[in-house]
Amino acid sequence: MKLYCSTDMEGVAGVSGWQQVDARTPHPEYERYRRYYTQEVAAAIEGARRAGAGDVLVNDSHGPMRNLLFNELPADIRVIFGNRKPYSMVQDADATCDGAFFIGYHGAIGDQNAVLCHTYTPSVIYELRLNGIVCSEATINAALLGAQGVPLLMVTGDRTTVEGVQAQMPWVHGVIVKESIGSLCTDSLSPVAAQRAIADGAAYAVANRSAAKLFQIPAPVEMRVTLAKTEQADYVAMIPDFERSGPREVRFVHDDIHTVFKAFVATFRLGALA
Amino acid sequence: MKIYVSADMEGTAGVCAWPQVDPSNTHEYPVYRRYMTREVRAAIDGARSAGGNEFLVNDSHWDMRNLLWDELPEDVRMISGARKPLSMAQGAEQRFDAAFFTGYHARIGEAGAVLAHTYSDATLYDVRVNGTPCTEALLNAAILGLYGTPVVLVTGDRATIDSVTAALPWAVGVAVKDAIGYFAANSLTPVAACAAIHDGAREALAALPRAKPFTFAPPIELVIETAKTEQADFMELLPRVERIGGRAVRFRDDDYLTVFRAFLAAMRIGGAANLPA
Repeated sequence: MKLYCSTDMEGVAGVSGWQQVDARTPHPEYERYRRYYTQEVAAAIEGARRAGAGDVLVNDSHGPMRNLLFNELPADIRVIFGNRKPYSMVQDADATCDGAFFIGYHGAIGDQNAVLCHTYTPSVIYELRLNGIVCSEATINAALLGAQGVPLLMVTGDRTTVEGVQAQMPWVHGVIVKESIGSLCTDSLSPVAAQRAIADGAAYAVANRSAAKLFQIPAPVEMRVTLAKTEQADYVAMIPDFERSGPREVRFVHDDIHTVFKAFVATFRLGALA
Repeated sequence: MKIYVSADMEGTAGVCAWPQVDPSNTHEYPVYRRYMTREVRAAIDGARSAGGNEFLVNDSHWDMRNLLWDELPEDVRMISGARKPLSMAQGAEQRFDAAFFTGYHARIGEAGAVLAHTYSDATLYDVRVNGTPCTEALLNAAILGLYGTPVVLVTGDRATIDSVTAALPWAVGVAVKDAIGYFAANSLTPVAACAAIHDGAREALAALPRAKPFTFAPPIELVIETAKTEQADFMELLPRVERIGGRAVRFRDDDYLTVFRAFLAAMRIGGAANLPA
């Protein structure tokens, strides 16, 4: 059984502020939480292997996407490092993968009581909807996995994140490592307790993977992106086949979720330049 | 007669280096900004002597707020500011009897051309439409052509004039300088350049009956070669943009307006790739 892990950092136990996860202007706390982050990923792999997982592909999916510490991970896994992947947080999640974990995930931008909630680029993306469904990163990423034939088996993060994913994908096993109090404060398990819960959750999720389903957004897929600022919509509306559906909104319709996903990546890349 | 003026700066007489056209420069730019404005004024005055009586000037250089109001006639309208959806051809849909391109420069990669580039030298290595390497002049002329407006005057260095008049043989070219490589020019004085532009504008309107709107024949294929592979990585994210090489992408559509907007989107998202990863 080949396992795919998309790993983010805001949903790691104890994380409650941006400095703890900011790799670009590293704060001493980043180095500490980077280790906890790596340890949660290692715990998930350990638990999954307890239940029969073999090959593991980990996609470092946070910030500049080169956070995980190699020396704290098993020697026989593969890791995708680096930003700017066309499929970003779900790069290379192809049909060879039998199931996926989202580790350290966070709520959608606008979620209440979701620590450090955002959807890809908070300075650009105010809201993302696919076929009318408000999307977290987990939602759009799971939709791409679903198109590739890969079921999401487990999500870890704060309660809002886990419950948000389970509302859209009830078969997904959730490990709640913390409760969010607003967006910059948490009541958390300790790292050790969180890692134990994640290992146990991973073993359970892999053992019960036959009950998991594919999350699919039926074609045609209509993407609506609300931008934070009108000048971002000015720029993004120039993308081929995009429609300016509001002063701060664009709309794009396509039958292939892969094209939609890349168009979404183009949206936050181009919007960031405005 | 209603005249459109797209005004760039690198092709202004005397200009031979970036600081002269960089708005953040406080020493040379303010001087050349005035010369740029005076060349626009000369084109307008020349057009007026041949029947021009309504003018829209599109400031088309850098952040696109260079022209000095107090050096222009009070009856012109001006488009100022960057990020326009049609950029250097903004306003073309208003339809004009004729268009002027002042202060224009050659395309990226052309030898013997002062400050030659195509929209963004940091991002674009070459731009071809239907196989033809394009100057900004040609890309913009095709937008004006969509609305039936012919480009009848272009001013800049000799390489610019030669390439534009080869593509638009009805246009009058005023060569205000001869380039000596990328960063040097043998130039007319500003006063002499303005006199030549004035006469060129009059001559251009006199020859208007044989001018034609320039268009690309559909199906239109845009090929962009990028300066760096990471820029092509980003461009490829755009719908219908195909990766055809390590540093090359292609976009096809029957409608040049769609192609031009895709070109601007590609150029801008390519610029986003220049930010730190």
